[in-house]
Amino acid sequence: MSLFAHYLSLPYLIEGIWFTVVVTALGLAGGLILGLVLAAMQLSRFSVLAAFARGYTVIFRGTPLILQMVFAYDALPQIGLKLSAIGAAGLALAANEAPFIAEMLRAGVLGIDRGQILAGQALGMTPALLMRRIIAPQAIRMMIPAFGNETVSALKNSSLASVISVQELTLRSTQLASSTFDFFSIFFASGLIYLGLTSAVSVIQLFVERALDLDRTTPQGRLAIFLPWRRVDLPATLKLAEQTSALAGPSQSPPPDLPAPPSRPTSRSDRAKHAAIVERNNVAVEVTDLRKNYGAQTVLHGLGLTVRVGEVVALLGPSGSGKSTLLRCINHLENWDSGMVRVGGRRLGHRDDGKPLSPRAIANERASVGVGMVFQQFNLFSHLTARENVAGPLRWVHGMTRVDADRRARELLERVGLSHRADALPRHLSGGQQQRVAIARALAPNPSVLLLDEPTSALDPELVNEVLEVIRRLAIDDGLTMIISTHQIRFADEVADRVAFLSGGSIIEEGPAHEILTNPRHSATARFLSVMEADKAPENTA
Amino acid sequence: MVSRDFFKNLRNFRNNTVFARRSRNIVMGGACLIALCISGQAQAAPAGCQALQAKYPALKGKTLVNAINPHTPGYEAIDPKDPNKYVGFDIDLGEQIGECLGFKLTYKAVTFAALLTTLSSGQADIVISDIYATEERAKAADFITYSKVFDGVLVAKDNPKKIDGINLSMCGAAAAENTGFVEVPLVQALIPQCKAAGKPEPTLQLYENNANCIQAILAGRADTYVNDVNTVDQAVKANPDKLEKAIAVTIPYSVGIAVPKNKPEFRDAVLAALIEVQKAGIHMDLLKKWDLDVNNFKEPDILSVN
Repeated sequence: MSLFAHYLSLPYLIEGIWFTVVVTALGLAGGLILGLVLAAMQLSRFSVLAAFARGYTVIFRGTPLILQMVFAYDALPQIGLKLSAIGAAGLALAANEAPFIAEMLRAGVLGIDRGQILAGQALGMTPALLMRRIIAPQAIRMMIPAFGNETVSALKNSSLASVISVQELTLRSTQLASSTFDFFSIFFASGLIYLGLTSAVSVIQLFVERALDLDRTTPQGRLAIFLPWRRVDLPATLKLAEQTSALAGPSQSPPPDLPAPPSRPTSRSDRAKHAAIVERNNVAVEVTDLRKNYGAQTVLHGLGLTVRVGEVVALLGPSGSGKSTLLRCINHLENWDSGMVRVGGRRLGHRDDGKPLSPRAIANERASVGVGMVFQQFNLFSHLTARENVAGPLRWVHGMTRVDADRRARELLERVGLSHRADALPRHLSGGQQQRVAIARALAPNPSVLLLDEPTSALDPELVNEVLEVIRRLAIDDGLTMIISTHQIRFADEVADRVAFLSGGSIIEEGPAHEILTNPRHSATARFLSVMEADKAPENTA
Repeated sequence: MVSRDFFKNLRNFRNNTVFARRSRNIVMGGACLIALCISGQAQAAPAGCQALQAKYPALKGKTLVNAINPHTPGYEAIDPKDPNKYVGFDIDLGEQIGECLGFKLTYKAVTFAALLTTLSSGQADIVISDIYATEERAKAADFITYSKVFDGVLVAKDNPKKIDGINLSMCGAAAAENTGFVEVPLVQALIPQCKAAGKPEPTLQLYENNANCIQAILAGRADTYVNDVNTVDQAVKANPDKLEKAIAVTIPYSVGIAVPKNKPEFRDAVLAALIEVQKAGIHMDLLKKWDLDVNNFKEPDILSVN
């Protein structure tokens, strides 16, 4: 053991570290590339690719690395592929790491909340754009600890390259031990070197985790701005930071609410007048004989609905009556079996040859038709600030410049009363604030129609009103065309021109809001209304 | 007389090649070429070598890969003083053969069991690594035999189990062996004999290299390790108060240089060069240099089976 320090500093062993690191790096880099391919294949829509990737995973995850090393080194030359020892070791390690890395990537991607993906789709983002802007940035953060693990394991596994003559640390240690008979000193020294290497990996992992932590505002946390998806123009950041700090004090107590609503000319007669005007407008949304089944279950049963420009239609009906499905069809977030959906006179749907559109084509159709969507669960992009939630899609989908997109985002956040929270992450906002950001996001591309799918159902009772107030103003001040599915009877009565009552996948009764709500003709409508009336207690019916 | 002078020259040559190998590590390429020229001129190879180089011109100027299991001090191991070098009898002999035929050698360190696989996969051109030429192994490679085999029986100090060879004295003992060594089947063959004699069976522990086998005895896990007598002597020299050699036994094999089966011309060239090296007395000098028993000396033969 006396020679322990001598071996620790022996250039022969130190040089061995280099081979260890090279094999590890080759294995990880190759494993990452191959893992990306495998994960993409497994997640793809094409089952042949997925099956192939699963077969690969079974084989390479199920056989020992040492055999794979020997195979790459001794068997591949038989088919004319003679790699150097380091090359063969790198290849075997990469082939072995790939399935593990692929599973990490897949778990990361599948770990992203479905709602955010739906929201991205609704904003017209193509699958590639979604992956790059929404899924990858969040998945990468989640995968760092697992990737740290994988790196340490690859580093240790690289020692198996000693069986195929790679002069890495383990091989050099055993050779040295054989010629000096100084077994323990040498192995303690090389063990300590391995420990140093793995500790370095741990430190790097912690550093990267801290650097990517969105909640950190320290200088290290600012490193996150070097990530492409986090790059924001600095002047704007600084300005907004000033605004935020200026508002920080007072804004703690009662949430600074919307600017006082103007006295609303919402008497019944005004509303009747509005309804009459709208009556003569162009058709904004036309749904004809829409049918959709989930397996044996029919969700939409030949449903028809016409919504005119400037009209606000409330969809009422029990859960499972098809309200959400109808809204999703209007945005082509779902396919339907038969029937027709027209938005702004344009028919949504299929390719000329009748086959379903590719996800990419549907995304482009959505972006150009201009249908905004607000979800029950808000579905904000949780790695982006309120402002980026609004501005990001404008840049990515609609090609707006950063300056224009930021200006538009500021305007809209001000309109929903949240300009002081522009730099906050969604998880630091209340439910009501999140839903207001979500509305701003949906409005940003100037949609011709706004679909709201139970926008207040997930909110605490005291937060419902701030959201309803925003929607009310969109209807009355801006005359926006809206289709709202809701359980808020009183709200529907106040805001909607028309109410459609759904049951079993079709509209069983529709007409002027006040008339239907006070004097339903259909027994199912009456029953539903009386039930809602009975537990009317809160504004909320989650 | 001639041969002693020659050996002096040989030392010079070795120094040159050592210089060449070290400098290659520092300045690749150019330095290597220069060293090649120097060594080529400074050394007159054994008389017949010129003729051999003329007969086998394809080998001249080549750099071939020698696969070794460098865990056998005396035959092949790294130099404890300069771990970037391999040294030992086999290393010197290989370089003499190379010198005679005009090629140089680089080394590829693999486990013992992988030596012939490495050769047949084309990852190495030749194996000179104290490997015993057996019929079984000759199915994977052709051998040019060059040394007789004397095995030693390594045991703990004072031989507590009183082992005196691969015989009934080993019944019930734990024998450490290298994976792929010829001693493995010899110990296995004892199992039925021990049973027949009403004694407990010997057990085998397989390791990846000499050092691990020796450690197994030092750690009390194994009772004995049978291997080449020189290896056993080296182990005893390194741990004189813990190990001893029980006995030397003769094993009916020869040590051989392994070459690919599909290259008979290369095999014949190596055989011819070895004969030249032996005729010049170099083989014997090397045995002395490395403190090996001169009785190991053997005139070469070819072992080739189909």
